[in-house]
Amino acid sequence: MGYFLVDDLSIFAPVKFLSPFSFCMFLITTANAFGQEFDAAADTLKTKQLDEIIVTATRNERMVGALPMPVSLIPKNQIKTMGSLRLNDVLTEQTGLVVVPQINAQGNGIQIQGFNPDYTLILIDGEPIIGRYTGSLELSRIAIGNIKQIEIVKGPSSSLYGSDALAGVINIITDRPTGIRTNAAMRYGTNNTLDVNADVAFTKKKWGVYVFGNRYHTDGYDLSPQNFGKTVSPFTNYTFNSKLTYKFSSATDISVAGRFFDEDQVFRFEVESNGSRTRTAGNGNTHDWNFNPVLTHRFSDKLKMIARFYSTHYLTETKLNLETDGSPYYQDNFEQSFTRPELNAEYFFNDRNILTAGGGYIKEMVQTSRYGDEEKRFQETSYGFFQHEWLPLEKLTVISGGRYDHNTIYGGQFSPKLSSRYELNKKVTFKISGGVGFKAPDFRQLYFNFNNSAGGGYSVLGTEVALDRLAELDAAGQIQIYLFDPNRLGALQAERSVSINAGAHVKILPSLKMDLNVFHNSINNLIETQAVAVTTTGQSIYSYRNILRAFTQGVESNFSYPVAKYLSLSVGYQLLFAKDKDIAEAVKAGYMYWRDPITLATKRLKPGEYFGLYNRSRNMGNIKLFYDHKPSGWEGSLRVIYRGKYGIGDIRGNIQGEIIPPSDRNSNSILDKYDDFVSGYALVNISVAKTINQTIRVQLGVDNVFDHTEPVTIPNLPGRLFYTSVSYSFSKKNIQP
Amino acid sequence: MNLIKSILLIAVVSGFVIAFTGCNESEDPVPVVATTITNLAADPGTGFNPANGQPTGLTRKFTLFSFKTGEIILNTDSATIKWDLGFNGTTIIVNSAMSGPGTSQAQLVNGIFDELTTAPADGYKSDNDPAPIAGAPNPNLAIPTGSGQGWYTYDGAAQVNRPTAGKVIIVKTSEGRYAKMEIVSYYKDAPASPTSANIARYYTFRYVYQPNDTKAFN
Repeated sequence: MGYFLVDDLSIFAPVKFLSPFSFCMFLITTANAFGQEFDAAADTLKTKQLDEIIVTATRNERMVGALPMPVSLIPKNQIKTMGSLRLNDVLTEQTGLVVVPQINAQGNGIQIQGFNPDYTLILIDGEPIIGRYTGSLELSRIAIGNIKQIEIVKGPSSSLYGSDALAGVINIITDRPTGIRTNAAMRYGTNNTLDVNADVAFTKKKWGVYVFGNRYHTDGYDLSPQNFGKTVSPFTNYTFNSKLTYKFSSATDISVAGRFFDEDQVFRFEVESNGSRTRTAGNGNTHDWNFNPVLTHRFSDKLKMIARFYSTHYLTETKLNLETDGSPYYQDNFEQSFTRPELNAEYFFNDRNILTAGGGYIKEMVQTSRYGDEEKRFQETSYGFFQHEWLPLEKLTVISGGRYDHNTIYGGQFSPKLSSRYELNKKVTFKISGGVGFKAPDFRQLYFNFNNSAGGGYSVLGTEVALDRLAELDAAGQIQIYLFDPNRLGALQAERSVSINAGAHVKILPSLKMDLNVFHNSINNLIETQAVAVTTTGQSIYSYRNILRAFTQGVESNFSYPVAKYLSLSVGYQLLFAKDKDIAEAVKAGYMYWRDPITLATKRLKPGEYFGLYNRSRNMGNIKLFYDHKPSGWEGSLRVIYRGKYGIGDIRGNIQGEIIPPSDRNSNSILDKYDDFVSGYALVNISVAKTINQTIRVQLGVDNVFDHTEPVTIPNLPGRLFYTSVSYSFSKKNIQP
Repeated sequence: MNLIKSILLIAVVSGFVIAFTGCNESEDPVPVVATTITNLAADPGTGFNPANGQPTGLTRKFTLFSFKTGEIILNTDSATIKWDLGFNGTTIIVNSAMSGPGTSQAQLVNGIFDELTTAPADGYKSDNDPAPIAGAPNPNLAIPTGSGQGWYTYDGAAQVNRPTAGKVIIVKTSEGRYAKMEIVSYYKDAPASPTSANIARYYTFRYVYQPNDTKAFN
C-alpha cells in the first residue's frame, strides 16, 4: 500500500467515487494521472495513509475528506499513543463526546451533541452491539486492542441504520487479516489493572485468518473509603475475536467474524432499605457473543452485492448474598438476542452517480427477571433503504437517502437524509446535511417491572405494565403518595429528531486546518424517566414518559496544526445548548420562577437564566500534543480534556449509598443559574513510548495527572492512574516506512 | 385534640400596618395586608422515625384555617363554614363539596405573589369526589396533590418536598371573599435547605385576605 494525499486528491471530483471493483487500482492510476498533486505527497507531514477511508457515513468505502456530513476517524496509532485500553478511554478524549455515568451514577455511556447515550448507535464492523440493559451501552465492554480505527459520524443516521442513530453512529472497525504478523502486549497500572492481549494475522493465497485475545483485570477503585464496598468493584474480563476470510475468486469473497466476551465482577454492597443497612456480597457475570458472516460478490465492475448475517447474544446476571450467613438476597438477570440477515447492493452507474440499496429483517428477544416474569418478549423489524451519491458538478456532491422501518410494536418509521458538500476553492469546503433520526421505545421502557432493592431502593415500571402494577401496589396499601398521575403516562411513541449539521473545512494556512460544524437537533417525544409514586417504605417508583420537545444546538470546532516536523497540535471545542423547549418557552414568556432559598422570596426567571438539561456542559474542549519521531522510535502525547460545569438532576444515591445532591435548590425543578453545579474540570493525560527495532515498544503513562476526583458526583472518574506497557510486534512483510 | 396546642405565630410583614378599623362596610378602601403564618402544624405526629423519616403518631386530622380571622379553627367546628382551608401532610382541602359544608373554592395560578393584584374571575374548583383522606392522593381536589401537580415538588435525592416557586393559591371563601396565598416551606422553622432530618408537615405561608367585596388585592 502506498501513501496518498487524500485531501488533495479529493478535489478531483471523479476520484471521490470509486468503483467498488478496483478500489486501490483506481486510486493509483488517478494519482499518477495527476502527477503534480501526487508529488505533494512527498511532504510527509501532509501525507495520510490510505487508511483514511471511512465506511460508516455511506455504508461504502469513502474518503473522509470527501464526505458531506461531520465525520471523524480515530486511527490505531493514535489509540496506541494514548495508551487506551477500553472504548470509553478513547471516546472521552474526543471533541464533543462526553462519557457520562448512567442510572445510580454507574457505568460509562457516550453523550454526543447533548444526546443521552441511548441515542448513539454503536457498531462493531457495521453491526450493532446489544446489551443496553440500563438504556446505554457499557463502553468498557469493548476492548480496543484489535481495532483498526474508530469511525464517528455525527448527526442522525437512521436513514442508513434505523433506530437509535439520532445523535450519530460510532463504528468500531476491527483488524482484518493482512500479511503475516503478530503482536503481543501487556499493560500494568494503578488499581492492579492488568491488561494482556495478543493477536495473530496470517494470510496465505486465498485464505486469511485473524485471531485476537484479551484479558483485562482491575481491582476497581474506591472513592469513598468511609463506605462499605467499592465505587467500582473488581472485575476480570476476556475478549476473543476472530476473523476468517476466503477469496473464492477476484469477484467473490467471504469473511466470517466472531466475538466472545465474558466478564466477572465481585461486588460488596451495603443496601439501605427501610432505614436498616444490610451488607451483601455477590458477583455479576456478563457475556456476549456474535457471529457475522459477510459474503461480497462483484457481478461486474458496476454492481457489487453484499449479503450479511449477524447474530448476537447478551446475558448479564447479578447475585447478591447476605454477608452474615450467605443466604440469597438479590438476583437479577437480563438476556437479549438480535438476529439480522441483510442484503445490500452498490451500483456504480458512472463517475457521477452511485446507488446503494438494501433491505433486511431483524428479530430481537429479551428475557429478564426485571420484567417480573421470565417470559421471552420478541419484536421484529423489516426495513429497506436507499442512497444516491451524486456529483452534479465537479465541486458539488449531493447524497440523498432514506430508510423505512416497520416494527411489530411501534409501527412504521421513515427516516430521510440529505447531505451536500461544495468546494468553494482549494481552501474552503462547505458541508451541510439534514435528516431525521428515530429511536424506538425499547423493551425496558415498555415492559420493565423491576424493583432494585440493591441499588438504593427503587422500582422502574414500563409503560405497558405500570398501570396494573401500581394498581396492585395501591390495593395492597403500599403506595404512600403519587408524584404523577399514572393515567397520564400513556403509550410510548418512538422518539424522533430532525437535525441539521452545517459546517466548513478551512485551510487557514497550508498546514493549519479548521473544521467547523454548527448543529441543531430538534427532538420530539423524548422519553424520560418519570417519578410516579413513593411507596410506604419510602422507595420511589419510576416509569417513562414522552416529554414533548427538547432541542440541542451548538458549535463544534477542531483545529489541527503541525507545530514542528514531528509534533502536531490539535485543539477542539464544543459549545452546547441543550434545553427543554417547553421550559425555554415558559421562561421566555415569563412563566418560570425561582425561590430564593434564604429569603424565601419568589422571583421570575429571566431569559438567559435557564441553563438547560441536566448533565450537559455548555463548554467542553481539549488540547492535544502528539509527538511521533519515527527515526528514533520515540512518541509521546500530552492531552488536556476539559468539561465545563453542569447540573445534576434528581438521581438519588450512588452505588455506595451516598446521596447525590441535585442541582436544583430554588424550588422550580429546572436547572438555572442560581442552582448548584458540578464544577468544570480538566484532566491531564501524559504518555511516552519508545519503539526499539520496530518490534519492541515500551510505554509509560499517567492519566489524570492532577488526581481530580468527585467521589459523589462523578463516580466513573477514577483518580490518577499510572501505567506501563510492553508490546512485541512481528510482521513478515514489514510495512513500516 | 393536641392540635389546639399547635403553635401559631402571626408575623406582620414589614411595610404594612395592621389597621383593623372594625367599622362596617366603609366606602374607603381598607388597606389589605400580607400576613405570614409560620409553622402551621399539619398533623406532624408525635415524633418521627429517624431511620426512614416517616412521622409516627399521626392523628389523620386536618388543621383548619380561616383567612378571615387569620387563625386556626378547632376541629370541633369542622362542620361549619368558619374555616377555609384544611392541612394534613401535603394535602390541602377547601371547605366545600366532599370536604366540608361550605362553598369555598380554590385554584392554583402561576405567578409572583406580589404581582397578583386581582383574583381571577373564574377557574375556581371545589373538592370533588372522592372524599379526601388525610395523606392520600386525590386528583380531584381544588388544590391537586402530587409532586409537580400542585403546590410542591418532591426532591427524591434530598427526600424533601419543596413548595414549587411561582405557585399561588387563590381562594374564594364561603362568604365570597378572596384570598391569595403562597406556601414557602413545608418544614419546621422554614430552613433554607431542608433535608430529611428536618421536621416536615409544618407550613410556612403568606397570604393576603381581602375582607371587602372586591377581587383586588391592593
